[in-house]
Amino acid sequence: MDFQGITDRLTAVGAPGFLGVDEPRGKDPEVKGDKGRAGDPFVLVDPQSIDRFLVVCRDDPKLRFEILADLTATDPAADDENLWVNYNLLSVSHRHRLAIKGILPKSEPTLPSAVAVYRAAQWHEREAAEMFGVTYRGHPDPRNILLPDDWVGHPLRKDYEFPKEYHGISCE
Amino acid sequence: MDRELQGTITLPEEGRTLASGEQEFVLDVRTQDMELNMGPQHPATHGVMRILVRTDGELVTGAQPHLGYLHRCAEKIGENVEWLQYLPYTDRYDYLAAMNNNIGYSMAVEAVMGIEIPRRAEMLRVICAELNRIGSHLIAFGTYGLDLGAITPFLYAFREREWMMSLFEKICGARLTYSYIRIGGVFNDAPPGWLGEVSRFCDTFEVKWREYYDLLIENQIFVGRTADVGVIPRDMALDFGLTGPMLRGSGVDFDLRRDMPYSLYEEIHDAGAFKIPVGTGEKGTLGDCWDRVWVRVVEMMESVGIVRWCLENIEPGPVIGDIPKTLRVPAGEAYVGIENPRGELGHYVVSDGDKVATRCRVRGPSFCNLAVVEEILSGTLLGDSVAIIGSTDVVIGETDR
Repeated sequence: MDFQGITDRLTAVGAPGFLGVDEPRGKDPEVKGDKGRAGDPFVLVDPQSIDRFLVVCRDDPKLRFEILADLTATDPAADDENLWVNYNLLSVSHRHRLAIKGILPKSEPTLPSAVAVYRAAQWHEREAAEMFGVTYRGHPDPRNILLPDDWVGHPLRKDYEFPKEYHGISCE
Repeated sequence: MDRELQGTITLPEEGRTLASGEQEFVLDVRTQDMELNMGPQHPATHGVMRILVRTDGELVTGAQPHLGYLHRCAEKIGENVEWLQYLPYTDRYDYLAAMNNNIGYSMAVEAVMGIEIPRRAEMLRVICAELNRIGSHLIAFGTYGLDLGAITPFLYAFREREWMMSLFEKICGARLTYSYIRIGGVFNDAPPGWLGEVSRFCDTFEVKWREYYDLLIENQIFVGRTADVGVIPRDMALDFGLTGPMLRGSGVDFDLRRDMPYSLYEEIHDAGAFKIPVGTGEKGTLGDCWDRVWVRVVEMMESVGIVRWCLENIEPGPVIGDIPKTLRVPAGEAYVGIENPRGELGHYVVSDGDKVATRCRVRGPSFCNLAVVEEILSGTLLGDSVAIIGSTDVVIGETDR
């Protein structure tokens, strides 16, 4: 199925938390400073119901996304109030793909964990949690995965300050 | 260790009297849980990974991989250097398949920019990607034999890989970290005679491959060590998001090159130049270590078929488009997944229209493939744990990035 078919199906089954789509578009000459958007389309989902949304994506016979290919987060800018949470689903039986994005406020970055839906999420969520300071509610093993347990800060945040030293070792 | 061992084993104080009238001999040994550290420097972990295994005698009752010893902040670097400057860093996550990493990153940036690349460049990309896949699978095959105590196949595999690396040295000057494939095409055209030598490599490799197959894959001892060991059922493979030979070894017929084709693969598949090998449980249970290794070894021959098709159909032409030195990528984002030797290598790039990326996410196949080890190591014998870790074919540079 192509992107249009997938979004039509999501609307038809009433997928929980489905907010809309974002598709590439050209520059709008009316709006000053508008950059347009290139690349691939994705769907926007309310992050607080992401786990229920993923269950629909996995179990619906027309969608059948068996694999959670990627799970991550993005900090668009230091002065932005929101983080993005990104999911990428892959269907082996229907050979299609879906990119999902949720907008999460930096003031309270918590959302439900997807581990109960896809166990592939377990390590990805640990990585996103340590790198962006996102809290996944209900994660069975919320330890750091790539960083040491005592690391301070979330390195992939745009406002991250590089440490001057680590355990007496100068980092400058 | 977070999980508690369920139940305890109690041994009788004295042996029973057997039917023959003799007293049963009871060893004065009490099994006790022991935690063993495999790594960070362990030959079976193929890099710097540490796995904490809890054993009860010879039985593994729990395993916990600890990652991060090779973490080099690749994604953070991606947000701090220009688009073209990031390319050499992509060589360094899966250093056994650097060409494929170059392609993945270049294709993601090209997807945001919306540019087409010249046909000869696509051909050279496919040739390099498939040669690199052969080289990467040769390492997987050779070192896996080494893990299980067979030293000879390793030496043979490295002999063939040496030729492959010298081919790459001739085309781009580097032996391991190539940066040959650039955004918009490839760095330069193949030198005179290079394509002829690739053809000779294919001819030789086809003969050698048969020997390797008989030497290791059909070897009784090897089959005994790998069949029915580390079984990953189909559902578990999908649940853990496994891709590549790990997924196909579990009987799922899926390969991005055929099922979601990119570059020239659709045309090559339609011409019948390659097939996708899928595990069948021939020697044991479907999804065991033998199936995974078999898929990799058979894939090498399919790659030879792809290279041959390209050699027959390659035509002269430009190899790179008109790409400025300082690239400005239009605002937008794209996720591009390609079939690496280890599975799906995904690049998620976000641009703000600037000279540097806003986000440069790498989804490494080894990272996802390794997560399943935690699950399948429990309940196996300690000796088999090396066979299982080896069969996942992880590259630590990629899990830690």
